[in-house]
Amino acid sequence: MKNESNYEDSLKVVGRARGYSREELIANLPRHSKFHFGLIKQIMSIPEVALRNSGTLMAKKIIRMMREINTETYRAKQFTRTEINNRGVLYGVVILKHHVMDNVLKYFHERWPQCVICLYNEHTQTTGIINEKGEIREVKLPLKETVEKVSTGRPIISYFEDIQFSGEEIFESLYNSQNIVERENARYFKSMIPDKCFDLPGMKNGVEKRYNSQNKKIDDFF
Amino acid sequence: MPSTLEKIRVLGENSKYDICASTASSRTDKYPKLFGDSKDFIGNTASAGICHSYTPDGRCMSLFKTLYTNKCIYNCKYCFSHTCKKRLSFIPEEYARTFMKLYSMNVVEGVFISSGVCGSADETTEEMLQAIRLLRFKYKFQGYVHFKALPGVSQSLLREAITLSDRISINSEASTKEYLAEIAEQKDFYNDIILRQRWLKQIRIRHNDEALKEMKDQIQDKKVQFQEKMIKDHRDNGYKKFRWDGAPILNSGQTTQFVIGAAENETDWDLLKRIDDDYKKIDLRRAYFSSFIPIEGTPLSTKQAAPLEREHRLYQTDWLLRIYHYKLNDLKEVINEDGNLPRGDPKIHLAESYFENRGPIDPNVASYKELLRVPGIGPISAKRIVNLRAQKLTFKRRQDLKSVGVVLKRADPYLKINGNSQTTINKFIS
Repeated sequence: MKNESNYEDSLKVVGRARGYSREELIANLPRHSKFHFGLIKQIMSIPEVALRNSGTLMAKKIIRMMREINTETYRAKQFTRTEINNRGVLYGVVILKHHVMDNVLKYFHERWPQCVICLYNEHTQTTGIINEKGEIREVKLPLKETVEKVSTGRPIISYFEDIQFSGEEIFESLYNSQNIVERENARYFKSMIPDKCFDLPGMKNGVEKRYNSQNKKIDDFF
Repeated sequence: MPSTLEKIRVLGENSKYDICASTASSRTDKYPKLFGDSKDFIGNTASAGICHSYTPDGRCMSLFKTLYTNKCIYNCKYCFSHTCKKRLSFIPEEYARTFMKLYSMNVVEGVFISSGVCGSADETTEEMLQAIRLLRFKYKFQGYVHFKALPGVSQSLLREAITLSDRISINSEASTKEYLAEIAEQKDFYNDIILRQRWLKQIRIRHNDEALKEMKDQIQDKKVQFQEKMIKDHRDNGYKKFRWDGAPILNSGQTTQFVIGAAENETDWDLLKRIDDDYKKIDLRRAYFSSFIPIEGTPLSTKQAAPLEREHRLYQTDWLLRIYHYKLNDLKEVINEDGNLPRGDPKIHLAESYFENRGPIDPNVASYKELLRVPGIGPISAKRIVNLRAQKLTFKRRQDLKSVGVVLKRADPYLKINGNSQTTINKFIS
């Protein structure tokens, strides 16, 4: 697009059009596992309109990196399965290649502000912890040990002790009940839960995998 | 006594044809949270909207969606509950705890509570409300709740439901009294449904006006005192008339649902007229459509299923009414003689009829409304184009439009830039 009056970034004037602003890139790119400081210099040298619209090869690479960060965060929020103990500690397992543990912890903290959240990252073999005040720590301990340590001294809160079924059984019943066979749409399902998601710790043996028609056993088929 | 698992299985299955958005929370911190910023409360509607699971038909499953009871005094001809021999009901505590368990597992985001009508609408609604009260005040859940109001419920219970929920819906099922009588003869279209929908609008507007006025009058320090006072009031005297933090209620508005193809001669035009009327008169946030599927054992079991494509066309056309603000009469141009929408994208049909005499338009001069008529240009890209023109920027090439979000492959036949437009093969041949 040609700006007749001046040669300022044309998309800047209408606010966010596509892609990411330079500030967003500078704030978030360091989360990527392959980030190096040279990237920041390159970001500064590319016009914002090119950055937003994948205008150069470098811009394409940067946008891809941002997408990887966002996707990983989103999927961790979406598909991490957690448990809560009677000391108000919520815990689960994630696989995070990029440095997004704080984002995921904050998400769970917003949902359960009175609990301590512990998430074990299988990739780095560390456990991220966020307490009630929103303070974040990362420790190099396995999940079980961390949860035990964090639980010590916390008051007992009987959360769901008298429910005679496991959460997994309850979710399986709910999941199974919601399916409308006449509407089964494997392609749509696959676009919603791509195969990669089934490698996430919460989904490896998840209900979704068992009930997916592609994974039906031969007995079910007949 | 049936187990909780059995209840979830049966009541979940009975509710599977009820449609809802994953979570239609406003996802904004603009309004105060239900329980303020207290750390004692669980859940968050502003961060909601993440789908935690999908069923094999690809629909997201973010809400704990079951009936409260499948005992029902109505015998709607299309309804699943005809075939269900097991008549079960949750008890409020069981319902609330089961949901909280699922919420702690991060598999659901909120609640969708619906029910058959057991005894009377008020009796059942009272029990449903008890479950939601427990969630809100015992388990301190301030996340998303979608409450399905039952036909014929009293105004006082509706008022309470409205203050406890983020969204309420009353199923219209059909577009007119006659069509409803055909599929659910016991329901009174005007009294049980339309009147209740109007009440919802009135209660909401009245409350929100008062609440916003009250909020505006307070300076920040007083707001905290006000919240503390209201928490105390709640603890001492039980549930209050208004949402205690003075926040606007029912942020996600009211919705409704139609069964398509169950009534014999109901057309798309009938449905569109009804939803257009609802958007104007009851502030309907959106309508849901559910294609009729014949269920073995129901009076309509031999009737043919409505095509899913019809449902899709109705959603597309509803989008034109709701988001693009097309006039109902504009849509009339593309309706077939039988009163149904033609096959294919309704926006393309409308564009073809609109641009037939006018010819392609130039994005450098076209009005916002004209731009919206072009397939591939939505409200956001149309606004960007108008904004850029206000900055004295002109579009010289097709690619310029791509950079503001226009889908060129759809928009091309209806646009000309600098007097040039891309020709279609049909035009070329003719």
